[in-house]
Amino acid sequence: MVPISYYLVLSAILFSLGVVGFLIKRNLITLFMSIELMLNAVNLAFVAFAWQWKSLNGQVFVFFVMVVAAAEAAVGLAIIIAVFRTRETLNVDRVNLLKL
Amino acid sequence: MSAAILTLVTFVPLAGALLMMFFPRRDELARWFALVVTLLGFVLSLHLPLHFTRAASGFQFEINIQWISSPNIHYHLGVDGISMWLVVLTTFLSPLCVLISWKSVHERVKEFFILLLILETALIGVFVSLDLFLFYFFWEASLIPMALIIGMYGHERRVYAAVKFFLFTMIGSVFMLAAIIWLYARTGSFEYTAIQRAMQSGQIGWEAALWCFLGFFLAFAVKVPIFPLHTWLPDAHFEAPTAGSVLLAGVLLKMGTYGLLRFNLGLFPEQAREHAPWIITLAIIGIIYGALVAMVQPNLKKLVAYSSVSHLGFVVLGIFSFTQAGVDGAVYQMLAHGVSTGALFMLVGILYERRHTFEISEFGGLATPMPVYATFFMIIMLSSVGLPLLNGFVGEFLVLSGAFQAKAVYGILAATGVIWSACYLLWTYQRVFFGKVNRDANAVLPDISARERIALWPTALAAVAMGVAPLLWLNAIEPAVRAVLSPLAQMAEGLVR
Amino acid sequence: MIQAVDYIRVLPEIVLTLFGVAIMMVEGALPPRASRKPLGWLAFVGTLAALAATVYQAGYPGMAFFGMVRVDSFSIFFHFLIAFIAALVVLSSFEYLDAQQIRGGEYYGLILFGAVGMVLMSSAVELVLIFIALEISSISTYVLAGFRRRAPSSIESSIKYFLLGSFATAFFLYGVALIFGATGSTRIYMIAETIQGGKHSAMVFTAVALMFVGIGFKIAAAPFHVWTPDVYEGAPAPVVGLMSTAPKAAAFAVLLRIFFAAATPGWFWPVWISAALSMTLGNISALVQDNVKRLLAYSSIAHAGYLLVAFAAARDIGISAAMFYTAAYALMNVGAFAVVSHFASAGERYVTLEDYAGLGRRSPVLAATLTIFLLSLIGIPITGGFFAKFYVFSAALKSNLVWLVIIAVVNSAIAAYYYLRIIVLMYMRDAREPAPTVQNVSAPLGVALALTVAATIYLGVLPGRVLDYASRGAALLVR
Repeated sequence: MVPISYYLVLSAILFSLGVVGFLIKRNLITLFMSIELMLNAVNLAFVAFAWQWKSLNGQVFVFFVMVVAAAEAAVGLAIIIAVFRTRETLNVDRVNLLKL
Repeated sequence: MSAAILTLVTFVPLAGALLMMFFPRRDELARWFALVVTLLGFVLSLHLPLHFTRAASGFQFEINIQWISSPNIHYHLGVDGISMWLVVLTTFLSPLCVLISWKSVHERVKEFFILLLILETALIGVFVSLDLFLFYFFWEASLIPMALIIGMYGHERRVYAAVKFFLFTMIGSVFMLAAIIWLYARTGSFEYTAIQRAMQSGQIGWEAALWCFLGFFLAFAVKVPIFPLHTWLPDAHFEAPTAGSVLLAGVLLKMGTYGLLRFNLGLFPEQAREHAPWIITLAIIGIIYGALVAMVQPNLKKLVAYSSVSHLGFVVLGIFSFTQAGVDGAVYQMLAHGVSTGALFMLVGILYERRHTFEISEFGGLATPMPVYATFFMIIMLSSVGLPLLNGFVGEFLVLSGAFQAKAVYGILAATGVIWSACYLLWTYQRVFFGKVNRDANAVLPDISARERIALWPTALAAVAMGVAPLLWLNAIEPAVRAVLSPLAQMAEGLVR
Repeated sequence: MIQAVDYIRVLPEIVLTLFGVAIMMVEGALPPRASRKPLGWLAFVGTLAALAATVYQAGYPGMAFFGMVRVDSFSIFFHFLIAFIAALVVLSSFEYLDAQQIRGGEYYGLILFGAVGMVLMSSAVELVLIFIALEISSISTYVLAGFRRRAPSSIESSIKYFLLGSFATAFFLYGVALIFGATGSTRIYMIAETIQGGKHSAMVFTAVALMFVGIGFKIAAAPFHVWTPDVYEGAPAPVVGLMSTAPKAAAFAVLLRIFFAAATPGWFWPVWISAALSMTLGNISALVQDNVKRLLAYSSIAHAGYLLVAFAAARDIGISAAMFYTAAYALMNVGAFAVVSHFASAGERYVTLEDYAGLGRRSPVLAATLTIFLLSLIGIPITGGFFAKFYVFSAALKSNLVWLVIIAVVNSAIAAYYYLRIIVLMYMRDAREPAPTVQNVSAPLGVALALTVAATIYLGVLPGRVLDYASRGAALLVR
């Protein structure tokens, strides 16, 4: 049987990949996908813990997270389209009217 | 009546200000209304000395209601012989300020009088609060209208002066707030008397009490101002409109000396005694420094401002002499200085309205075109010098005799200050009023108008009355001062030896 | 079992949702050229109904929906605050939308939906529900931030808020997952029992840290604050008034529940450091800003820092101080942004400090109103800001956090400078030529401003009742 720590390490690696991707990538869509990766890493952790505690709750949470992620995606992509309309670029470095 | 009177006296001006906000923008209406409100305040405040039990030493007309339960803040007002006169001084000067600003403030008139009335409430509140929190509340509240009066209605560098004034006092009072909160955390009360009891019972360590003493001292020293912290004062005075200067010199500076007496002496007698020598040294430096700078001042208004630094040095000296005479004199000097310097600023302001300059060299021989003005100036100037039978004399005499009792060298050094002040004031008077009329513009200056006369007469009368019959005031001051000094009595003896 | 009373315990949420849905439906039915004002009024009625529902709900404290929602003085306090803020923002939006020529009824619907999420955040005691509520509030505000669709800066603000906000929620969610793994539950009170049972694994500490990162973004505490000035600068001014206050209040409520009700360990030093950093960075950066919205953004970072000081104080007085601070801060900030939104005019043209020069002469009432809010932000007596700071500092002093208080006091002195700069500009400088025109204040905005001024002064003169209520909520939390 695969020990729980394997799942957790995998989840942590996925989450970190998401974080790193968010920090170094410059394309808005890629940034967005990094966030999705982070959320899915969390889902993996939830499932693993659900298995550990023998509780269905953890599995149910995954559905909630997926629904919320979908809602977020809808709004997020709409905003990204709005950015593309005004700027004709998806590069974050060029979306820089406001000083950062 | 006697329970509500202090509330009335304090908040009538504020109520007037709030009412005035809803007035139409008619300048004349604002002026008259402000005058009526301030006069009403003065009449109400006369209730205090008329019904004051003079022999008693404690606080009178007290009102004590819980205001906020957590923290335990009380709406606790009350006056003793010291603060009562300061309240009356404030209400006395306020209508005069309205009169003197009648013409000189000509734009945003309504706002000006609103600010003036709010300021009056804050100033009275400072003197009547017996709850430290309430005291701090009014103390800070007085800052904003004053800064706005300077910054909005002053002369060219008004913004600089207003910001400097604000930052100096603000930084000073932050330390006082820290001390107040600390005292509250230890004693669980903001009440003056409760904290006083806690201090006397030795509930608070010497070291900690010293830090609190210094916190309070810094806030008050900025306000007085005591010598190295005085640099905001000439700027603020010079840039402020006349009414602002009158209240600044007449009342705001007294908040500092009042605080020193009430809190630094009243709450921390041991620390005060321990640290009196250097405070007195600073006071004496202030007396002499202020006088010397005033002497070489080419600018009439700055001259009066520096003379304030010098005169308030006397007050601080008197307070920290820890003798009955010295502290009596300090309190008396506060009142006398309020009247005469207030009047001096009014006189200087009147001159400015006519010539738009404060340079002494621009004037000369003014006694010819303006005889009445010259007479008023003479009376007020002499009272400021400290001529017997005028108000300045009583205070200075008592302070000096207190200082001599404390240590002869203090008295001797401070006495030179009296001589200096006679020199620069008389010399200024000579340059401005005597001799030939040296400028054409000066030859045709109109003498003071009826309105200005009405503003000046009360100050001149007060100056004479306070000089001739000092006991009228002193018999209320003395018991209060004795109460403040009683824990110091034995320690002060040690200082004499 | 779900009982009728359970629905009462989420009544404000239900009311707000119904009104929000109604607005969305009517919006679709309205002809494109028709005025959207009626929808705004509908939203206003919705917020009032939510306030009424909150008051009604206060009579039915307790748990609902299998222990996922809890109504007590603590949640009532935040419900009331959030609904009140939403009402104020709706009132101050009428005129703004006209001036910007934005014709979109969904604006009001989104405010209500956002409020649903925030209200739910403050009463939820189950971490996944908190997450969902957080997302409901966030998604609405992401859209609101980009509502000036034609202005590139607004869209940019929206995308930045969206990306960083989702990034932060992922952290929060990971924290939730870990704490679920460590304790086997996501219910705050169950977690508390497990933790008090002495299970302090490294996982709990990591979970707390991750959740703090997530919420730290929402409350704009340093070092998670970098998005704040950009987002606030670009977003429509009334929306900034909303999102700098209500979601923050809700996020603070969540943080308080997690730290105190769940009694999680290990947050003291992170909070201490974050408080010190937020105050210092916020205030120092605010000193050099020329744009009023950016200045207020940095100021809001600094205020988050003062609030965290109360967290570090870690006693019931600390919690009540934090709650009071949230309320006082929310009122003055909503008010300040309402003035800014009015003054900005079409296209948000007038938002630099220079534009405020001479405002005291041209528009005395508006200037006086802004002055009151600024004085409150400085913390001058007779304004709510004073007592807020006072309670926080004395709570911290009682917990012997002397250094933190010293940092806070020094910071308040620095902060006085940049707020004063605006006041000085308004009253003591002449307007540049040509002077920006100031429209007359419309009636709804006037009501909103009058309410905020009155509330700010009320908190400054009679803070007792609000503080008492906050203390009751706080007592429930530390128990």
